[in-house]
Amino acid sequence: MGDLVEIENLTVAFRSKRREGLFRSGPSLKALDDVSLTIGENETFGLTGETGSGKSTLAKVLVGLYKPTSGTVRFLGREIDYKKRKDIAYLRQNVGIVFQDPVRSLNPSLTVKEVITEALIAAKSIPKKDYDERISFITKLVGVTKDLLPRRPRELSGGQRQRISLARALVVPKKLLVLDEPTSALDVSIQAQVLNTLKKLKSELNMSYLFITHDINVIKYVSHRLGVLFYGKLVEVGDTRTINTAPKHPYTQSLISHVLTLKKVGLQETVTSEHRPAPSGCRYRIVCPAAFERCDTVPPWLNLGDGHLVSCFLYDRSTQKESQALIPATAATGGGLPVTPHELP
Amino acid sequence: MPADNPGETNARQALAPAVSAPPSYSPRPRKEGGEDIALEIKDLTIDFVSVDGRVRILNGVSLVAKKGEVVGIVGESGSGKTTLGMAILGLLDSPPARIVSGSVVFEGRDLLKLKPEEMEKIHGTGINMVFQEPLDSLNPVYTVETQIAESLKVQRKRQDPPVAQESEDETKKLITDLLRNLCIDKPEEVLERYPHELSGGMRQRVAISISTIEKPRLMISDEPTTGLDAYVQNRILGMFSAQRKAGETLLYITHDLTIASQICDRIYIMYAGRVMEAGETRGVLQEPLHPYTSTLVASVPQGFEDAPPLSVQLGEPPDLRNLPTGCKFNPRCPHAKDACKETEPKLEEIFADRYAACWRVDKALGRFS
Repeated sequence: MGDLVEIENLTVAFRSKRREGLFRSGPSLKALDDVSLTIGENETFGLTGETGSGKSTLAKVLVGLYKPTSGTVRFLGREIDYKKRKDIAYLRQNVGIVFQDPVRSLNPSLTVKEVITEALIAAKSIPKKDYDERISFITKLVGVTKDLLPRRPRELSGGQRQRISLARALVVPKKLLVLDEPTSALDVSIQAQVLNTLKKLKSELNMSYLFITHDINVIKYVSHRLGVLFYGKLVEVGDTRTINTAPKHPYTQSLISHVLTLKKVGLQETVTSEHRPAPSGCRYRIVCPAAFERCDTVPPWLNLGDGHLVSCFLYDRSTQKESQALIPATAATGGGLPVTPHELP
Repeated sequence: MPADNPGETNARQALAPAVSAPPSYSPRPRKEGGEDIALEIKDLTIDFVSVDGRVRILNGVSLVAKKGEVVGIVGESGSGKTTLGMAILGLLDSPPARIVSGSVVFEGRDLLKLKPEEMEKIHGTGINMVFQEPLDSLNPVYTVETQIAESLKVQRKRQDPPVAQESEDETKKLITDLLRNLCIDKPEEVLERYPHELSGGMRQRVAISISTIEKPRLMISDEPTTGLDAYVQNRILGMFSAQRKAGETLLYITHDLTIASQICDRIYIMYAGRVMEAGETRGVLQEPLHPYTSTLVASVPQGFEDAPPLSVQLGEPPDLRNLPTGCKFNPRCPHAKDACKETEPKLEEIFADRYAACWRVDKALGRFS
């Protein structure tokens, strides 16, 4: 499985709008901090984390809506220069996206059919006579009835709107489809159909997915590999099964234990108040039950075997100065995952 | 609890859970018969009338919620869940909505027959609703604090006998505590913001806090945790459980069965404006009688990537303007027989506290056959 997307040390910082003085701008906020990951061909990479962890930021970087502050993004080996229009166009030709908010991502003045047709026009490569066929094929797949086509987004329910976003993204086949919470607004039965469809389409169209959701049940069901984000920092990456059955990072452990399932009865008590990231070192250390002094510094990436990487001192045997040998296998693909101390302003 | 001091050196201590006591999640209390009924809906039928014609949104829906009970209303979009919630509160605009028949009895009074002034008094402190879209229910030009304080004021004013209004400081403290209980970490900061400055999850929590501070006797929450992450979801659900303990009745509208299975005592499964199955939650979800319920249960993703496709009958959601004859679920039902296509089954009690509207459910056997 070759790598379709390689993201290295990606940092995206936003400057706060609140100014501290006439000339001093406010502190900047790192939505993504030194994130490195790869998405293989025909792979579904699941990205999870709570609200505000930077999941959507990563999605937007991949379609060129946000520019990285630092770090590189390579698509099929080609490094994307976010300043070049050509590169952005290349990215958009190959990467489709389904947004989280179906209300704001659809043009309210266009009919459903026009919304989907726009995607076909933008692709430029599809002859006009094929439009109808493609539209009817895709709408059927995502569960949009024909009578919705002449309607406008405001006349539709949230679930229907999201299905239209999905149809728009899939109407022109892409190499990578970024799915940013694609099913969180859908009914379970429709969600199940969409998930089935996504799985089927992926194998048929040779596509990779970056599947972003906070719903662990869904991500478990769709993704091969899983990355867990905590306030802009990737804390654990690995095989979905491994992470779900034997999570290593304390944050992942807590996240997995909070998942609601049909069988489990009784809620997990959330004693912690809202997670607040630590300004330095391991971001999770403030709420982490296992935190100790060393967590003040940024934990290194540790390879636990089979591509299971965790960024936590608990699994560090580096007192023996052997931590160099433990640097993740993905390091071989590029500059590695360097451990640089970072500070939030 | 002292206020968070940002300059505090020992960060961990400062950040120790500011929440006084986590709400407990004890199993549902089983009550012995004779409890009073908080809400009873009988045979409610609502049409939406437009130039295109008349669409029946709700068709003979009956529902009972006992005091202190959490009743789930589960169904796909378009099944009439939200309309039902709005109808209880009398929030449906007429036109297009037209109530054809039925009654909504809350504390002995039929809400559908109340005058607008009387209804206004029930809104907020009697029955309250949390909407799915929090941005629509918050006022964009007031800060969060002003909006929550306003609700508190209303609550105090309507108490019988009236309770004195809190001073500004007390109000602020009450509100901060409430927000903290909802997993909001720096309530003082949030209070000064306007709704558009908050994230979706935060907004929803503010909307919920506005509703809870009014201490309604019946709370209707329409998909309050949809789109929120597991932590916040747990927290909000925990808070609802705590309120239930305080005697509040809750109607929980959701399409998420996993949530319904967590907090609901009884659930009503709705489809195309009808109740398809009703009963005690555990029973309904573990041994569904109606094929539609089974479909919903089978739709919940389980297992890993290599798991077989979810066993869902592909089929388009019902078009309310063009419903099939007979059972409305029959085009999507894997077990439909001829009888299902001819006449519509009625919701019948199959056995104690389990109802289903399906020809294939055998009353004598008490199960699907």
